[in-house]
Amino acid sequence: MRLLLAEDDPMIGAGIQRGLKQDGFVVDWVQDGRAAEHALAENVHDLLVLDLGLPRREGLDVLRAMRGRGDARPVLIVTARDTVADRVAGLDAGADDYVVKPFELTELAARIRALLRRSAGRTQRVLAHGDIELDPVTHETRVRGEPVALSAREFALLEALLARPGAILSRAQLEDRLYGWGEEVESNAVEVHIHALRRKLGADAIRNVRGVGWMIGKVAGTQR
Amino acid sequence: MNRTRSIRRELVLWLSAGLLAAIAVAAVATYVRARDEANDIFDYQLTQMAASLTGVPLTGAPPGSTSGAEAIVVQVWDRDGIRLYLSQPRQGLPRHTQPGFDTVATDAGEWRVFSTLAAGRIVQVAQPMSVRRELAAGMALRTIVPLLAVAPFLAVLVWFGIARGLRPLERVAVAVGERSPHALLPLPEAGLPTEVRPLVHALNGLLARLDRALGAQRAFIADAAHELRSPLTAVYLQAQLAERAGNDVERAGALAELRAGLERATHLVEQLLTLAREEPGVNERPFAPVNLTELARHVIGELASIAAARRVDLGMVGSEAPAGDAIVSGDAAGLRAMLSNLVDNAVRYTPAGGRVDVTVQRDRGDAVLQVRDTGPGIPASERTRVFDRFYRVPGIGTAGAPGSGLGLAIVKRIAERHDAVIALGPGLPGAGGEGLGVTVRIPTTQATGTEPERRIAD
Repeated sequence: MRLLLAEDDPMIGAGIQRGLKQDGFVVDWVQDGRAAEHALAENVHDLLVLDLGLPRREGLDVLRAMRGRGDARPVLIVTARDTVADRVAGLDAGADDYVVKPFELTELAARIRALLRRSAGRTQRVLAHGDIELDPVTHETRVRGEPVALSAREFALLEALLARPGAILSRAQLEDRLYGWGEEVESNAVEVHIHALRRKLGADAIRNVRGVGWMIGKVAGTQR
Repeated sequence: MNRTRSIRRELVLWLSAGLLAAIAVAAVATYVRARDEANDIFDYQLTQMAASLTGVPLTGAPPGSTSGAEAIVVQVWDRDGIRLYLSQPRQGLPRHTQPGFDTVATDAGEWRVFSTLAAGRIVQVAQPMSVRRELAAGMALRTIVPLLAVAPFLAVLVWFGIARGLRPLERVAVAVGERSPHALLPLPEAGLPTEVRPLVHALNGLLARLDRALGAQRAFIADAAHELRSPLTAVYLQAQLAERAGNDVERAGALAELRAGLERATHLVEQLLTLAREEPGVNERPFAPVNLTELARHVIGELASIAAARRVDLGMVGSEAPAGDAIVSGDAAGLRAMLSNLVDNAVRYTPAGGRVDVTVQRDRGDAVLQVRDTGPGIPASERTRVFDRFYRVPGIGTAGAPGSGLGLAIVKRIAERHDAVIALGPGLPGAGGEGLGVTVRIPTTQATGTEPERRIAD
């Protein structure tokens, strides 16, 4: 899952970015409100972690403009403003959750996962389709109950496909999920990772729709 | 018992004393006047009586029965001095041959004596003066008795009148009692007597100033708490990352970040303390002559290693000026904090390879301190706001941790204490931008040791 982090404090921003990366998220970090808006316009992030006291454009303004455009992506406010009035203002402006600084990184990651789950219409932590189960918290993948070892990128790719069963994801969309800004994207990386996943999960686990992209197999891995 | 002063009691006492004095004066005046009038009347009566006696046979009681007539003594002598008649046996009344009035002192008090010579006889009529005095005293008494009777009622009236007049003060006291540091509403001024209004008006002025000062304090504390949260969040995050670190390299990196975060939090707390110390009215140190040039050299020396670590060329320019060192009257600790903040700011915001020049000059009786750098500078539109505490120019970051946002607020506060003027302008052109030049002009008043009159902050 790819997140956008808008935080002006370099120390806090670097800390959150590093912590969330360790939890398996791809994190892009911007330091002011305008940069956040430009990044949101790219439409590649699944969730926005928003600090309120941003220079150039206030966090709440960014949030209101986002909701005004009909952008329904989950937004988690992370701020030092802790009064009830501030929380109410943040939630009323369209935020989905509100975390007050200082906070536990594990809690932040859990809240982000919960928001992502809810935005995908799921209530279960574990993503499951057919015989494949994927746990975003423990980073475990099982096929018919048997654990399968996946690399971080393979895991992220499978998570993206499982998150929207039935949807076809293009190469560009998948690349966006796998790589943050400034990360080198190898030309056939997606194919390489798909190939590896098919080898580990079964050939039918991922279907290719020629010229369009990839989707999770209809009854993936249900071999008799 | 500790007697407290009471306006009411004092007024009643003074008014009562005045009233009594007035009554006494009235009594004396009445007495004197009545006595004078009684003298005239009784003297006339004596002459009339003497005249009526000149031709009557000397038997029986003398005629006339006016008041005090019973006390009248009549004596008649013939030409040879033989007493022919004595109305009452009285001792000590001398024989008077001289016609006319006389007042005679006898064993039985003073007597008024009238003698007349007619038809070969000397008629002498005498009356004790006490009669007249008693009459006058009676008159005086009749005058003051009603006044004395009314006096207690007057005192009571005054007592209640004052209570009524002072009731607005009690209302003001209740209203003041209702005020608290959280609710410093002005006191109602309507319906107050003119004597009390200036007091209430002054109180309202004080309340308004207190409210503003408290509001500023509250805002400062809220700001400070908010600002402290950022470095603490950074430290907390780094501590968590250090705990999670899978290997020694990661852990060392996280711990280095943690240390940087702690330094930042410490710096912020120190800056907050400096600002609090420079708060007007707090710990004001007396002014003394301060060698600004020497102070600048000292501060540069302190920050030289930090500048070197950031590869910033920090130095002093024009310090060998023939005019000599600039001496100002001021607070050495405050001026040092100001210089330190200015130079530290310049070093902090100047990119590596840049330059920071410090100049101290004397100019037309002022000491002029200049700190110029090759950093990004401050856009003209931001130049007033940068003196607000916790305001940081957007888009201009420091190489390391963000600043406290208090540096220029501290500089401004100290400059105000010294009646100095701060100007922001371009600095030294360099790779980072137009640079920033801060000029502080401190008046060098001749009167050392005395602080110039401070402007009252509105």
